Amino acid sequence: MRRSGQVRCKSILGIALAAAMSPATAQDAGEAAALKKPDSSVSIGASAASGHERDRTIFGQYNGLREDSGNLLLDMDYVRRDDGTGMWTVVRARNLGLDSRDLGISVQKQGNWRFSADYSELVHHEIRTINTGLLGAGSATPSVVRLGAPGTGTDVNLSLKRTGLGLSGDKWVSGNMQIEVSFKNEDKDGARLWARGYDCASYVCTGTQNAANTRWALLLLPEPVNFNSKQVDAKFNFIGEKLFVSAGYYGSFFTNANGSLNPTVPNQLNNAIGGGPATLNPAAAGGTSLQDVLQLPMGLYPDNQAHQLYVTGNYAFLPKLRSTFKLAYTHATQDQDFASMGLGGAPAGRTSLGGVLNTTLAQFGLTSRPLPKLSLLADLRYEKKDDKTPIAAYNIENTTIWNNSHISNRRLGSKLEAGYQLPGATRVTVGLDYNQITRELPGLDVDVAGLSGLRGRTEEITYRGEVRRSISESFTGALGVAHASRTGSDWYNLCTSAACATQGLVYGGLYSWDQIYQRTATFPLNLADRKRDKLRLSADWLPMERLSLQFAAEVAKDDYNPPSANGLRSGGMTLLSVDAAYAVSERWKFTAYGSVGDQTMNDADRANYVADMKNTNTALGFGVNGKLSGVLEVGAGATYVKDVTKYGLSPDPATSANNVLQNAVGLPDVTFSETRLGIFAKYAIDRKSDLRVDLRHIISKLDEWSWGFNGVPFAYSDNTTVSLNPNQRETLLSARYLYKF
Amino acid sequence: MTRPAAFAAVLLGLLCALPPRALAQAPRQDLVLKGDAQCTRCHDENDDTPVLAIGKTKHGTLADGRTPTCTSCHGESDTHANKPAEARERPKPDRTFSKTSATPIEARNEACMSCHRRDAARSHWQGSVHQSRELACTSCHQIHTQHDKVRDKLTQTEVCFSCHKEQRTQVSRPSHHPVLEGKVVCSDCHNPHGSVGPSLMKRDSVNDTCYTCHMEKRGPFVHNHEPVSEDCMNCHNPHGTVVENLLKARAPFLCHQCHTPHGPNVPQLLGRQVVPNTVGTTGKNPINITMARGCLNCHTEVHGSNNPSVTNPTPQFRLR
Repeated sequence: MRRSGQVRCKSILGIALAAAMSPATAQDAGEAAALKKPDSSVSIGASAASGHERDRTIFGQYNGLREDSGNLLLDMDYVRRDDGTGMWTVVRARNLGLDSRDLGISVQKQGNWRFSADYSELVHHEIRTINTGLLGAGSATPSVVRLGAPGTGTDVNLSLKRTGLGLSGDKWVSGNMQIEVSFKNEDKDGARLWARGYDCASYVCTGTQNAANTRWALLLLPEPVNFNSKQVDAKFNFIGEKLFVSAGYYGSFFTNANGSLNPTVPNQLNNAIGGGPATLNPAAAGGTSLQDVLQLPMGLYPDNQAHQLYVTGNYAFLPKLRSTFKLAYTHATQDQDFASMGLGGAPAGRTSLGGVLNTTLAQFGLTSRPLPKLSLLADLRYEKKDDKTPIAAYNIENTTIWNNSHISNRRLGSKLEAGYQLPGATRVTVGLDYNQITRELPGLDVDVAGLSGLRGRTEEITYRGEVRRSISESFTGALGVAHASRTGSDWYNLCTSAACATQGLVYGGLYSWDQIYQRTATFPLNLADRKRDKLRLSADWLPMERLSLQFAAEVAKDDYNPPSANGLRSGGMTLLSVDAAYAVSERWKFTAYGSVGDQTMNDADRANYVADMKNTNTALGFGVNGKLSGVLEVGAGATYVKDVTKYGLSPDPATSANNVLQNAVGLPDVTFSETRLGIFAKYAIDRKSDLRVDLRHIISKLDEWSWGFNGVPFAYSDNTTVSLNPNQRETLLSARYLYKF
Repeated sequence: MTRPAAFAAVLLGLLCALPPRALAQAPRQDLVLKGDAQCTRCHDENDDTPVLAIGKTKHGTLADGRTPTCTSCHGESDTHANKPAEARERPKPDRTFSKTSATPIEARNEACMSCHRRDAARSHWQGSVHQSRELACTSCHQIHTQHDKVRDKLTQTEVCFSCHKEQRTQVSRPSHHPVLEGKVVCSDCHNPHGSVGPSLMKRDSVNDTCYTCHMEKRGPFVHNHEPVSEDCMNCHNPHGTVVENLLKARAPFLCHQCHTPHGPNVPQLLGRQVVPNTVGTTGKNPINITMARGCLNCHTEVHGSNNPSVTNPTPQFRLR
């Protein structure tokens, strides 16, 4: 922003001279050219980390700084433009010395054509370490070896590496027609935490359970990951005076090199209290032993593919009346041959699922400004997912047989909104949203386990409003409220108990909630009636030219009305945040923020517990940047995050005496906190080169109990354990040389 | 001081004292944009808001006939360029883009959209939540700089989090997408310029967006898990959680929001049991549903299983 009508005497001097005393000198031309020349830079340096990699598993899970104490830091931005032709050449490289590297090359004749290629690597290191006797961890054929005692095995660190290559380009074939094509190939390799467990049903295996014999076992078996995905998007764009339309094809293809996991499991593992070894129970008549069950193949993700044709765009009926639209049809299939996955025992006549999922999408929106102060919006969206997968008898439990199920549904979404500019720089917006989902219910021959009812249709209406007012040039505030109510159709009864039969309830029949009601029933959270209220208050304030403040407060509450004492009963969140930015001078700038909030969930498991869960979060941040001199810039930053989850267990009135006591013992809080401190100094060696030194200290603490508590590890049946350093501290020193050209 | 230096100093002083109109008397050359001479006689890189770096951007590519002039965006601004004699202060340009600008948002955005409406990624800007909430393009984008924060993976979140505070906190949790690490950015999943999907999802639905990176979960499977097919966010919070795999809550609490459990189990930990496990304790015991992967210790295939086996125990309960 210009400060006054006076020309200030600065770098423009040379240019002013050129204007006043033309012809311009070569030096002036050079300065003018420099203003147009895009900046390029290369940065090279090294970083050194303190301690062991287990001291930085949380901080280092993605950034490539976990495994090695010393790392090469190499980044580059090469940006060149030929001013005569408008040809750009851009090469961007990030983290070339780390396993989170990116490299992109782009060549473009602006306004005509563009081509780019991007290569990317990303490794996600599991933050926990496994101690196991497992052989071939991460392969499709691991072999379980029981350790004599927990902690006596080999440490295994799992990771997943993504390697991506993207190619894209576009070409303007005329002033109003463009072709865009993009392709992305990604490989994902590695392994992730997975498990297998089974508690033998009596019709599968038999035998008593005691110190020397067991009928159940849990095993940690990493999932082998060797995925490939490909995506291609090709579209033709037409740009008319009133119409923009884009028509194209989007294809996505997934393949998995592993079809199944086939573990080898010994016949002796831990008993139920971690002792042993105990022999796995033998087969019942017509069944198979627990050892055999644990060695059955586990299905891994099958290959799948989807093809979409679409037309999308917008049309301006009038300058103040515009529309958007999209029509799309997707044909998705999953027909990988079961035998090729190493999976046998399919129903007669089925060599693959033959999965077919056809999705049709239509959307149309209108926006209008009939009056300068009035804006209107209407939007309608319809999506039909039609599952055409053949039905077959895949499921057998004991002597009962059921078929596979479909996932067909239809979604209707609509939105109406009006905004009006009132006097006094006040804008009011009101809106109404309606969303409906209609699901295909399972047939009577399809088993749905562990649920009490399903709903064929849910619908939600949301009423919302917002008032935004600029009280002055320097203060703007907004208040938004929303109320949503979700209801639905009658329930599809899944209850087959004698009590239900006595009430005349038939499996698969449709009943109102009070007919289907049982205190021990659970109704899914995405189907139950729900009322949701939200309130949001925000303000932007510039009390002085150099100071800006931002406030936000948000409250939301969900009340579920499942026709049961079970399941999710309520939820909520609050958030309060303040941000500030203060420029003391042109040289020194400060920023700070703070936020506190919580999320709550009240979840009940009838006859057992009520969990009044509360997650409280605090986040603070502070930063300062300053110039100590014309050549020395310094800065410091600090962030602090603390997250505490309380489980708030209390007994259900109908629970047993022991469970009352167990609820009183409860679960310890789960606490995560992270403090990051950093300082830097950047010294300008000359106009083209800088030296930057960074010092960072990170303290990450994760106190939770999933894999052990208070020194007692959770041990799998082969004595495999999983651990994490709960108090991680890391100091990172890095130095970089930056050359600009 | 030498004589030439003294002469230069005097000349410098004179130039500094000259009003802009005096300098404008001489024919000027454009510096970075077509026709910018009228503006750059006053505005330069040392303004509070430096302007000339626009020459280094796509907007400054003069060989592309579509690129703008200063007045394409800011308007002709006659009274700003030539301050009326009676005006006490120089009037502002016809269109300004600062936070405190009096220019209506629609007019500000039209300056951008008059050209960028031709981009496929912006086909649904009209009617999008950012448009209807009157967000200005310049609320997020910086035009007069080569480095537009919101278009850089390492700095994009600084822009998005200036409004989306809850997400700023969530991405710092231990289970998160690599957002702060600069490997995944908001715009990998969201199209801030409008989309057909909910919450400005880049593709047509939440699941379709997730499948772009997690395509293996698309199925369909022999044994589907319907809430998975319906909406990944039934169980996951993609912005970050304390529970592994971005789960909204840990098992069994998450699973119990839909499913009945295996008998009278109260979640509990080894070493804190009122009734400790014995050698006869069933596998469906409260330790096994609480610790390690909880319910997923046995129900491994929570996203769906394609195992067709009809051999007992069959995989219908996503055991294998």
